[in-house]
Amino acid sequence: MIEATGLTKVYGDKTAVDGVSFTVQAGRVTGFLGPNGAGKSTTMRMIMGLDRPTSGSVTVNGVPFAQHAAPLREVGSLLDAKAVHTGRTAYNHLLAMAATHSIPRKRVQEVIEMTGLGEVAKKKVKGFSLGMGQRLGIAAALLGDPQTIILDEPVNGLDPEGVVWVRNLVKYLASEGRTVFLSSHLMSEMAMTADHLIVIGRGRIIADAPISEIISGKGQSRARVRTDQPQQLMRLLAADGVSVEVQDHELLEVTGLPAREIARTALDHQIMVYELTPLQASLEEAYMELTKDEVEYHSLITTGAAAPTQTGGQ
Amino acid sequence: MSTAALQPRRQDSKVGPGPSFLRILNSEFIKFRTLLSTLILVGSTVLVMVGFAALNAWGIGQFSEASNNDPEAAAAFAAQGADLTVGIPTSGIAFAQLIIGSLAVLLMSSEFTTGMARSTFAAVPKRTPAFIAKLLVVTVCAFVVTVVSSFLAYIVATPILDNYGFDIDLGSDHSRRLLLVSGLYVAAVAAIGMSLGTLLRNSAGGIMSLVGLFFVVPIAFQLIPGEFFEEARKYLPDNLFNRIVTAAPAEDALEVWQASMWLGVWVVVPVAAAMIVLKKRDV
Repeated sequence: MIEATGLTKVYGDKTAVDGVSFTVQAGRVTGFLGPNGAGKSTTMRMIMGLDRPTSGSVTVNGVPFAQHAAPLREVGSLLDAKAVHTGRTAYNHLLAMAATHSIPRKRVQEVIEMTGLGEVAKKKVKGFSLGMGQRLGIAAALLGDPQTIILDEPVNGLDPEGVVWVRNLVKYLASEGRTVFLSSHLMSEMAMTADHLIVIGRGRIIADAPISEIISGKGQSRARVRTDQPQQLMRLLAADGVSVEVQDHELLEVTGLPAREIARTALDHQIMVYELTPLQASLEEAYMELTKDEVEYHSLITTGAAAPTQTGGQ
Repeated sequence: MSTAALQPRRQDSKVGPGPSFLRILNSEFIKFRTLLSTLILVGSTVLVMVGFAALNAWGIGQFSEASNNDPEAAAAFAAQGADLTVGIPTSGIAFAQLIIGSLAVLLMSSEFTTGMARSTFAAVPKRTPAFIAKLLVVTVCAFVVTVVSSFLAYIVATPILDNYGFDIDLGSDHSRRLLLVSGLYVAAVAAIGMSLGTLLRNSAGGIMSLVGLFFVVPIAFQLIPGEFFEEARKYLPDNLFNRIVTAAPAEDALEVWQASMWLGVWVVVPVAAAMIVLKKRDV
């Protein structure tokens, strides 16, 4: 279990992590989701004792990471694909790490096989692809057979087969009762992998809930409506908390009203509707909705088009 | 690519051994010897030490032959007696110290430039034991490489000197002291180098600072006139070393114990600073 309380990290005049509190429970995969620069990696480095919090604290199984008697056996981490001296072979890198905790060579061999590094283990890390580097990082994380596993963007650079492998691996680890905390900026990946989601934006926690709740709860009900009197219907539906977007000359997207209400309004005013489709919010849309004010680096296209919503209606 | 090799979670609270100092030392030694750059730099040190000794032996021989026709030179030559050849095995030390010192800088700075430090300090989150273990590996290696390559230099220089009727008395007090102090001195340079690597976290910057301290500053101090620089020059590590090993010190020279103490200060201050900074700074 990982517990963060009021965790804050300030770099100069920039607050990377701003009073973050959360708990990562054992036995399930907890996703840590946020746009680039939201503070995911900084938070993870603070958990691992690599960055000192400006204020607040974080513990793993009740103890600050650095206080554990056998840190590698307690917490395994992949913080950055580049946490390896590239002049060393993968095998020697793992061997040197294992030596600090008297982890036997047999275990080094085991994690090499497990991560599919067998063929390249005796090669220098310099020549590794991003995906190979990720596999080596995951091998290092598993070395001490730890109770808690922290993975920062583990699927970055992996081929599709590797992505599926990581997905199954973390689910399996969680099913064994381990604590699995994994970050990503890919919502689609989180939807497939995580049971629970902590969403961070600009250093603050925006949401901390089961993934199903985030998809259904936060996204307001939306519906696609096709009618031959769109202007008239728009006027009738207009109310607080309801937004209507004209997508085509006869196509509207209505947010904030259940489909039933739209149908009733149309019926009451004798407006013919020839399509009325309730739209299920995807995790991606829920995420965009959650983080729309928190995105650190807006792309020019998004800021340039003065669209009413960040989702752009697609 | 299977998860079968993962052990089911243990139920007891006993987790297994953690990072004791000997284990960390073993880890740092593995890291030390599994880098090609280490092997190349150690190899170059041996080559430089042996090469300079051979050149030096040949030079002394040539000079002695030339002086046979010149009674004044011959007299000056004879006055030096056994001291003439005693410095031959360690004559490459000025370059050896820079190579080994650079190796020490690299071993630490590369931890930061490659990101390896994150792995190192995830395994040893208290950090200081990892620093001390690395320091021990680096300084012991510096000492051993210096002493061993001096021996090799002796073996190579002896037959060359033999041609001119000279030999090296490796068993003499002066010889033994020179060997021991040279080894310790290069170890001290390595400790300073490793501290620079820790403080600067940058390979080029660390090596440049080291070269500056051991190569540029002594020359600059020699060129700048003024009593201050003349006095200050005595306290530079390079000159402290020369003071300790010389048999015929200048009149106003420091005592050997003073020189040794100042050399100690040159090591302790950067090492302490590096340890404090390493503990405090984010990785």
